[in-house]
Amino acid sequence: YRDLHTFELQAPTRVIEWARGSRICVAGYGQSGRNEILQLITPPALQAKETQGLCPERDFKVECGGFSKRAVYSLKYVPDTSLLVTSGPPDSSLQVWQVSTEDSDVIKSVSTIATENATGQLWAKIATISARAPWVLHGSTLDSVQITEVELRKNVYTAGSQDSEELAGLAFLNSSTAVLCCTRGQLCVADVRQPRGALQAMPAPAAPCGDRWCLGTTCAAQGSGLGAQPVARLSSGGLLTLTDLRKASEPLASAMARVPFPGSGTEFLCVSWAPALQGCLAVSGFDGTVHVYDTQSWDSSGREAEPLFVHKGHALGGSGDPALVTVHTWHPQKPRTVLSAASDNSLHVWDWVQP
Amino acid sequence: FLAFSLCPGAGQDVGRSCILVSIAGKNVMLDCGMHMGYNDDRRFPDFSYITQNGRLTDFLDCVIISHFHLDHCGALPYFSEMVGYDGPIYMTHPTKAICPILLEDYRKITVDKKGETNFFTSQMIKDCMKKVVAVHLHQTVQVDEELEIKAYYAGHVLGAAMFQIKVGCESVVYTGDYNMTPDRHLGAAWIDKCRPDLLISESTYATTIRDSKRCRERDFLKKVHETVERGGKVLIPVFALGRAQELCILLETFWERMNLKAPIYFSTGLTEKANHYYKLFITWTNQKIRKTFVQRNMFEFKHIKAFDRAFADNPGPMVVFATPGMLHAGQSLQIFRKWAGNEKNMVIMPGYCVQGTVGHKILSGQRKLEMEGRQILEVKMQVEYMSFSAHADAKGIMQLIRQAEPRNVLLVHGEAKKMEFLKQKIEQEFHVSCYMPANGETTTIFTNPSIPVDISLGLLKREAAIGPVPDAKKPKLMHGTLLMKDNSFRLVSPEQALKELGLAEHQLRFTCRVHIQDPRKEHETVLRVYNHLKGVLKDYSVQHLPDGSITVESILIQATAHSEDQGTKVLLVSWTYQDEELGSYLTSLLKKGLPQSTS
Repeated sequence: YRDLHTFELQAPTRVIEWARGSRICVAGYGQSGRNEILQLITPPALQAKETQGLCPERDFKVECGGFSKRAVYSLKYVPDTSLLVTSGPPDSSLQVWQVSTEDSDVIKSVSTIATENATGQLWAKIATISARAPWVLHGSTLDSVQITEVELRKNVYTAGSQDSEELAGLAFLNSSTAVLCCTRGQLCVADVRQPRGALQAMPAPAAPCGDRWCLGTTCAAQGSGLGAQPVARLSSGGLLTLTDLRKASEPLASAMARVPFPGSGTEFLCVSWAPALQGCLAVSGFDGTVHVYDTQSWDSSGREAEPLFVHKGHALGGSGDPALVTVHTWHPQKPRTVLSAASDNSLHVWDWVQP
Repeated sequence: FLAFSLCPGAGQDVGRSCILVSIAGKNVMLDCGMHMGYNDDRRFPDFSYITQNGRLTDFLDCVIISHFHLDHCGALPYFSEMVGYDGPIYMTHPTKAICPILLEDYRKITVDKKGETNFFTSQMIKDCMKKVVAVHLHQTVQVDEELEIKAYYAGHVLGAAMFQIKVGCESVVYTGDYNMTPDRHLGAAWIDKCRPDLLISESTYATTIRDSKRCRERDFLKKVHETVERGGKVLIPVFALGRAQELCILLETFWERMNLKAPIYFSTGLTEKANHYYKLFITWTNQKIRKTFVQRNMFEFKHIKAFDRAFADNPGPMVVFATPGMLHAGQSLQIFRKWAGNEKNMVIMPGYCVQGTVGHKILSGQRKLEMEGRQILEVKMQVEYMSFSAHADAKGIMQLIRQAEPRNVLLVHGEAKKMEFLKQKIEQEFHVSCYMPANGETTTIFTNPSIPVDISLGLLKREAAIGPVPDAKKPKLMHGTLLMKDNSFRLVSPEQALKELGLAEHQLRFTCRVHIQDPRKEHETVLRVYNHLKGVLKDYSVQHLPDGSITVESILIQATAHSEDQGTKVLLVSWTYQDEELGSYLTSLLKKGLPQSTS
């Protein structure tokens, strides 16, 4: 490590979302009915150009907070507004919140975007993009994918699909295209300029039937095509598949992540591309570790890949049940800085050294 | 009724603490701190707020000091000797021992080094301390007949305490500065479920999520080690007491583990006494230290020696702890000047530095400092900052509230705008009211005092026998007469009250006339009424007396003919005040008329 900071939150979080000005948002996912959404200012130590060992402030500051009765499973800021959107069981509706740090430090609940309930307790996956209007892409199943304009609560797009496949994740690729990933691994690309556009589907990679998948993408720059950055999919068995959406029939590359107990964790699977390191991605959710891989050396054989770096901090926690990493995210500017949170309330900020 | 006033000090001003509480007619001052940032009168609280006229000694029942940090006791000699207060001042034994040392040190620097005149003297400090009454932990101290106080362990620094102030059944707990997690040499704060009406808690770190102590310590040791390895010198300016001891233990343990040879020095005078006090008050330290004290005194350091001024010129690596902490004067500043020019050296600032001090300047990045005599000092040594101060964060505050179970919470030392979230959090979690007053603001909190009343045994027995069996969990309604005489309240039976007061009992009797259309004879009407009532009032005792009247329980009903109209009978219904309810009911029942067929 070049640097490592460990923190303890009052409750575990499964979301870490970045906001303007070096802020992150975390939220509780407990079933007790009293969860907190916290917007934290990152310590100046993280914001500095060079990493210093001892810095004026090494602590996170709670800038504002809100209370949510629901468990928060997904949280996204709506760019260019002071709103954020959350979702969580028992249904696929979205809760809209107002973050205003002017006169008060309370994040207030503003409205709810209701949706037709899918069967079962499926919660909505959310994606947002900086666009002309405050759009939120959300849905819990393929046929319930829609875009809502948040301030007016108006529906702008609905996926033209009859398929009730459960969604694992969705993301905007650019302001006109979105990619959807089902829990069984299929990918779909949607042109969101057409209000009821059909989806272009791609098959799931070959993998054991019971595996569940999740999605990792990078939001490409305005105007760039689909192929700017491949889309990564991670299975609960540890299989990582990279797909170029222009040639989606065949995976670009794939590899097996080295996981101790494949198939154990499906709740918190997380894969994400490093914004400032070409071809690097991080994987977590199987145990108390976060793995960083360099995908540039991968081929399509699917054999086991050696991680560049493994963060073991969460696994080395105190006594009790071993912690499970719930989420991780890359620092938008500092190339090797990653934030990760685990089920034991820990929040780590680490800066790894390229071996 | 508990009025609480935030007198010129704390409340959104991290600088000095001074709180005035009015509880059940008693006035108590909590802490008497000074602001380290100001060099003029603003550093002391404005005591004219307290009472417009009249002497402070008459107005205040006592003053309580929570711990020896200057922002909690720095203005005490000024307050007691220059403004004028002769009443009792309470603090714990370690605080009483250490306060005068810090006050004298501060006085020396302010007067001797800075040449100020309007400041308290050494004699004033001594006179002030004569008014101090030292207290033990968990000892209930009777200030006067009604006011009592009790100290609880607060962690934070040696001798720091949280105080409970109680008058009758109203109480306030003031936390001072406290810490809910134990560290290397002190334990964590603790309080019992005393359920005060108000808990006043500091909230300096309420909005902070601190990184783990392990990380901070690791980084600190890494920096010290690196500097020493390359032959540099490390200067750590500290306040004599407090975190210095924590860091000493940390370094000592590290030196032992890594088998390091570079010397560590602890500057003399003030700090020697400090270590002496820690040994003296060993019971105030944490469990681990007390347990190992027999085998190895934690404060008997193997690798840390007393410093001599000459050592600063010695070649080679070393680590020196020197006072004062903000590099504003004294030995630490002297050493700093000697070492500043060498980039191999390092200075680690251990905490908050007040504006204007050299410490603050170098932390802000200044590398060329103007010293006295217009000399420019170029700072080439590495400047680092770390904060090991022990305060409670949001989680700690919640823990303390959970322990004490107050009815109201008041937060001081924070930034009001940014505490709305914490306020709501506390209100929602504990269902109590949370206040965050500003400097100078008065907060009034209403309490529901319970007033104890003695009940006479005879009355208790009598009332307990009526109605359902007494149940410990259910309140029971009893009737009696409340006698308030002098300062005592007694509940007695009405008869006894009358006897004691020499009063005669008056009986109130109500009589009501109900007209009934009935041409028959009176005694037949009576029979009709009797049968009717007998049928309706099955649970009551209805009797037909030989003299022609009817009784329902103790209510009397008689029938007479109307003077002018033979067809109308007049029923006289008569009852005492105690039977009001039944009487009214009977009357309205009879007014409805009698059923036609009666037998």
